[in-house]
Amino acid sequence: MSTKYSDPVRDKFDAVRERAGEAVAPVWESVIDAVRPLRQRQIRRTRAAADKLPFSVGVPYLFLAPFFVLFSAFLLFPVLYTVFLSFHTYEGISTTTLFWIDVGPIQYRLTRMAQLEFVGLQNYQRLLGDTLFQNALANTTFILLVQVPLMIVLGLALALALNASWMRFKGLFRTTIALPVAANLVAYATVFLLLLQDNGLVNSVFQMVGLPTIPWLSGGTALLPGPLKSVLGTGFWPRVSLVGAVTWRWTGYNMIILLAGLQSVPKQLYEAAEIDGASRWEKFRYVTLPQLRPVLLFVVVTSTIGTFRLFSEPLIISQGGAPLSATRTLVVYIYNIAFQQFQLGYASAMTVVLVGIVALLSIAQLRIGSDSDA
Amino acid sequence: MRNLSRDEAAWRFLGYTFVLLATLLMVVPIYWIVVASTLPEQAFLSAGTDIQLLPGSNFLANLDALQSRESVDFIQSIGNSVFIAVVYTLLSLVLCSMGGFAFAKYEFKFKEPIFYSILATLTLPIQLLVIPLFLMISQMGLSNSYWAIILPWAANPLGIFLMRQNMRQIPDALLESARIDGATEFQLYYRIALPTMKSSLAALAIVLFLFQWNLFLYPLVVLEQGKYTIPVAINELVGAQRVYYDQIMVAAALSIIPLFLVFLFLQRHFVSGILAGSVKE
Repeated sequence: MSTKYSDPVRDKFDAVRERAGEAVAPVWESVIDAVRPLRQRQIRRTRAAADKLPFSVGVPYLFLAPFFVLFSAFLLFPVLYTVFLSFHTYEGISTTTLFWIDVGPIQYRLTRMAQLEFVGLQNYQRLLGDTLFQNALANTTFILLVQVPLMIVLGLALALALNASWMRFKGLFRTTIALPVAANLVAYATVFLLLLQDNGLVNSVFQMVGLPTIPWLSGGTALLPGPLKSVLGTGFWPRVSLVGAVTWRWTGYNMIILLAGLQSVPKQLYEAAEIDGASRWEKFRYVTLPQLRPVLLFVVVTSTIGTFRLFSEPLIISQGGAPLSATRTLVVYIYNIAFQQFQLGYASAMTVVLVGIVALLSIAQLRIGSDSDA
Repeated sequence: MRNLSRDEAAWRFLGYTFVLLATLLMVVPIYWIVVASTLPEQAFLSAGTDIQLLPGSNFLANLDALQSRESVDFIQSIGNSVFIAVVYTLLSLVLCSMGGFAFAKYEFKFKEPIFYSILATLTLPIQLLVIPLFLMISQMGLSNSYWAIILPWAANPLGIFLMRQNMRQIPDALLESARIDGATEFQLYYRIALPTMKSSLAALAIVLFLFQWNLFLYPLVVLEQGKYTIPVAINELVGAQRVYYDQIMVAAALSIIPLFLVFLFLQRHFVSGILAGSVKE
């Protein structure tokens, strides 16, 4: 029995008793005796865990409550609902439209829904044989393997250059390089669509300096070396455009995060390395990289998640006539199934799989990335 | 000018070249948006080789064309977007900082499972929650209101993660001495945690503002005319028969301004505040 702290149970009831007068006393005594051991154990456990910080048990829950209420209502519930739907067929009957948006690349139609019907794992089985899903997965993987490393290497190189002591106009460069993030998503995708057309600005400039024009969006096999034509196919240039557009938009953003990481590396470490006669490369390899590890990891994980969320860019850029098979990402495909074909059950099953893939990837990256070596 | 070693000079030259090239690549499309917004459509569409790279005098005409549309009032949509993004950011900052404080500085039952279930939702492509959300919002009678856009992601998983990471740096001794001085737990949050976390809050504000600024599909589904946000309004200009590029350019040019201002004001903090996860575990 530790009497280090006042007994909160008793305090509470004392207060009540004072207010209520003596009439209730005998009843309360027995209640207190019943509750005390439970409360005491809980308080002791919590306190021991929290380095003996004396706060009452409810406080952290109160702090968390506002976030958690909204989180449960608007995120947790829809997620669980999606999982629930993935074991059912739930399809629109397209003869009765309740609600319809049809503008440009977006077609959204809400129709009266057929009965929810439980089908077990049928949606997941269908997914295994769905070649379009495999194609979308392959496209997404391609972007992940090409675009994310490219963007992070560029972002890191820029951050290193801007972190150098001799670099002038740091603020100006930093702001302008991060500017693309300020462009509105839909606006920037539309602008790229315009720039990259066969007779758009990019090809005009190419012509002016005497380079051949490239079918950025229309998906020809121009300029590809003969033997590769059939391998890379008509989707090659649209893929390059998509990677270019996404890289253009997010490199500066990641550069800023990496720059923040670089600036927090203690200067003494570099000085010590200088004294030991470390070369430029050795300083980067043995001081900068280990110190930057957590920030790099953060950038890698968020970029990976971002890749699996790609939606607006491929949707709008594919308006340029690119073959869908080259630019269809997972979310675009799921969107097609959900909002154009109205198979909500199947779309939900794909969503569950997608989230599973991303979660596994993120966990793997975190595991690999947080092996301590420094 | 000191005499540099040849090696050092080469590195500097390389560094400057690289940074300048990157700056050029980033700025050109944006510069071109601004230029195109001041030109008549045919001057920048299929220019061939006689491409125009200097601003013209057609900006107001393009803006007029944009504002004379029946279906969408673009200037109003800028206002809508700014209002939604500001309210959303403030609300989300409160929720995420309080929640992050609980995760960083308290021990409680189910702490880990709750935290990881929140983190897991980071991987969700938000477009895919549109169906259940739309059905829910309609049920609540919130469709076509600003709250329909503000509430769903106010409990932002990335936000609470960043806040938790950063709030771990607050020394326990500081909180403890404040407790001894008789501060309530809420005062610890309000008087100690928030002021020391200014940079992180500013960094998070940028992230949240950006997130809200670029939401597209969900507002498109929920909002009706008059409440459109910028992306939805721009999307109206992409007609099935014809895309109004001159008006899109004006809209794009105008839509950069608010975010640029946010960036300018908060950027200093952004660099010192985004250090998520750089706390040694």
